[in-house]
Amino acid sequence: MRRAAVVVLALVVLAAGCRKKSEQTGNLNVQNNVAPRAARLYFEGPSLLLMAEQRNVQAPQNPAGAMAVVVRELFKGPANPGFARAFPADTVVRGAFLLPDGTGFVDLGGATLTQGWATGSHEELMAVYSLVQTITANFPEAKRVRILVNGTPAETLAGHVALDRSLVPSAAFLDPRAR
Amino acid sequence: MKRLLLLSTLPLLAVASILLGQAPAASTLRTPNGDKPLSVIHQGSQTYFAVDEVIAALGGTVRQESGGFKAALSGVEAAFGPDSRFAVVRDDLIEMPVPPLSAAGKPYATLQFFQGYLSRAAALDATWDAAGHILMIRPLQQTQVSVGTSLANVQGITKVVLTLSGPADYVIVKEPGAYTIRFKSPIRAPYADQAHDDPNVSKLSFSGNDLRIQLTSPDVIADAYKLDNPFRVVLDLRKGTASTTAPASQLPMPTKPVEAPGIRTIVIDPGHGGKDVGAIGPDGTTEKDLTLAVCRKLASALGARTGARIVLTREDDSVVSLDQRTAIANQYKADLFLSVHMNAAVVKGARGSETYFLSADASDEIAKKAAESENASVSAAASPSSDLKLILWDLAQQSYLQESSRFATDIQEEMNAVAGIQNRGVKQAPFKVLVGATMPAALVEVAFISNPEEEAKLKSDAFVTTVVDAITRAVVKYKTDYETRIGVIKPPPPAPAAPATTTTTAATRTGT
Repeated sequence: MRRAAVVVLALVVLAAGCRKKSEQTGNLNVQNNVAPRAARLYFEGPSLLLMAEQRNVQAPQNPAGAMAVVVRELFKGPANPGFARAFPADTVVRGAFLLPDGTGFVDLGGATLTQGWATGSHEELMAVYSLVQTITANFPEAKRVRILVNGTPAETLAGHVALDRSLVPSAAFLDPRAR
Repeated sequence: MKRLLLLSTLPLLAVASILLGQAPAASTLRTPNGDKPLSVIHQGSQTYFAVDEVIAALGGTVRQESGGFKAALSGVEAAFGPDSRFAVVRDDLIEMPVPPLSAAGKPYATLQFFQGYLSRAAALDATWDAAGHILMIRPLQQTQVSVGTSLANVQGITKVVLTLSGPADYVIVKEPGAYTIRFKSPIRAPYADQAHDDPNVSKLSFSGNDLRIQLTSPDVIADAYKLDNPFRVVLDLRKGTASTTAPASQLPMPTKPVEAPGIRTIVIDPGHGGKDVGAIGPDGTTEKDLTLAVCRKLASALGARTGARIVLTREDDSVVSLDQRTAIANQYKADLFLSVHMNAAVVKGARGSETYFLSADASDEIAKKAAESENASVSAAASPSSDLKLILWDLAQQSYLQESSRFATDIQEEMNAVAGIQNRGVKQAPFKVLVGATMPAALVEVAFISNPEEEAKLKSDAFVTTVVDAITRAVVKYKTDYETRIGVIKPPPPAPAAPATTTTTAATRTGT
């Protein structure tokens, strides 16, 4: 009898646990639900400032999941042949996440960034701010962006722009027509 | 079964209705070469015209490239894509109300694309007769001038640039709360109204041959000037009544420069070095070699002209970390720090020089870190962390931003005077090599090594000497101005006929 009571109690606890887990899974399913969304992507224009392209992407509804998708879309390059890709073509997104304080983290990789990107400050500024602008324009929750390379804080991408701090969007690198 | 049939037909009907909405309608293209049928798509309130059909009728071509298209007519290319409202023609942008469409592999664009592109490529105009379904392409009226606008705010000054398709006479009329640019010949306006979220300008409106610049307050004043190639009218709008910058007496003066006796030590930083080659030119020239060559000459020239101690952060092809470079300047208690670089861009045709000082976003981060340090003051006071040291360094640097801005401006003004170098201006960026320097600091990008013409120039001794002379003049000017401001050099007695530049030159001679 006592053994049966223990078994019943165990089943009740298990059932309660299952119900809770089921609710969490339900929420996660909503969060991970992939849906179309408009993404505003920033590339270098002929004025040597950032211009925007509007593109539809399929992305999870949770911001961190969607952030990686949008950045991957950015790295595909511009549709307009008059605009230029800001990052090296072999750059990959290893991950992206969002802290509650509004800092979006993007972890980048790829041969060029890993081995050292030999370029000037202008190209590096365009790359960094195309990423910062794209993230903050598409995700209002992200107020600033911190860039990591291969999972660790990087000093710079190409010897100029300090990445030891989070960066906020700068109108100085944005073509007024892209606003 | 009936229900199943209905269900299976519904999606087909939906697709068909979408296709019908986008289906090209029969219209006429009328060019100087005659009439042709033209595919037109009506979607919402917009009308799109088949770009390949129009351009082919005029003797040009359209091809697909990456995810977009390139049109070529009379040797002028237009690049455009389905995700952007802008087409690129040479270094210029054509603004459209909506992005072009791609239907069955063919590009379709609105009238604004044809007006912008054809006027630039072949002096042609495009108009749409909606009642007769005729797109008319004819020679642009010689008297009509197309006007494009752009607006940018840099350090409180709003720059409104009007780009004209040709020269035009105009007058600028000041009204309460607005400036009106009244053109004396017919213009083609790009839009009727455009609102702006700007500290000085709230709206740009075209009416007839007038452009009205609506100001945010009546105390906004303007400086206007003209530029050629292409024809431009530029208005610099700012709040105030007298000078472009706040009076020196109202500006917070940095603590250390006031106490310092003058510019006694200058650290020059040749960018990159060793395995960090920096940017590489199309001919294989490396940035690290050029920066070293320029800085060696610069050190020699500055030593002779200023009498200051000149320190190079590297004198050979060695690796010096970014932190080490500023640490060298701080260890030597330098009064001035200049990092020299060569620029690179992926955009073809990028050229010119630009000078940077530390950006405001770095300062924002400094303020955030300072706030965090206040919250953690007890533990920080007990054991100063490396973070706190970093904050103190950053705060020290922040106090030098005003002086860094003056120094960068002096450098850029002299670089502008170097023949053949396009001015790209003074800018701010969070450059690592500027973050830790506890003295006025700037970074000059001499020219674009990625541009074959500028790479060739940078390899010539004569050009390097010209650049070195320009930077030397700038450093001497800054040194003289600074030492005059802090009272180390007495300003010469004011002479009615002597402008400021003459005073500077005289003081410079005294200094050397």
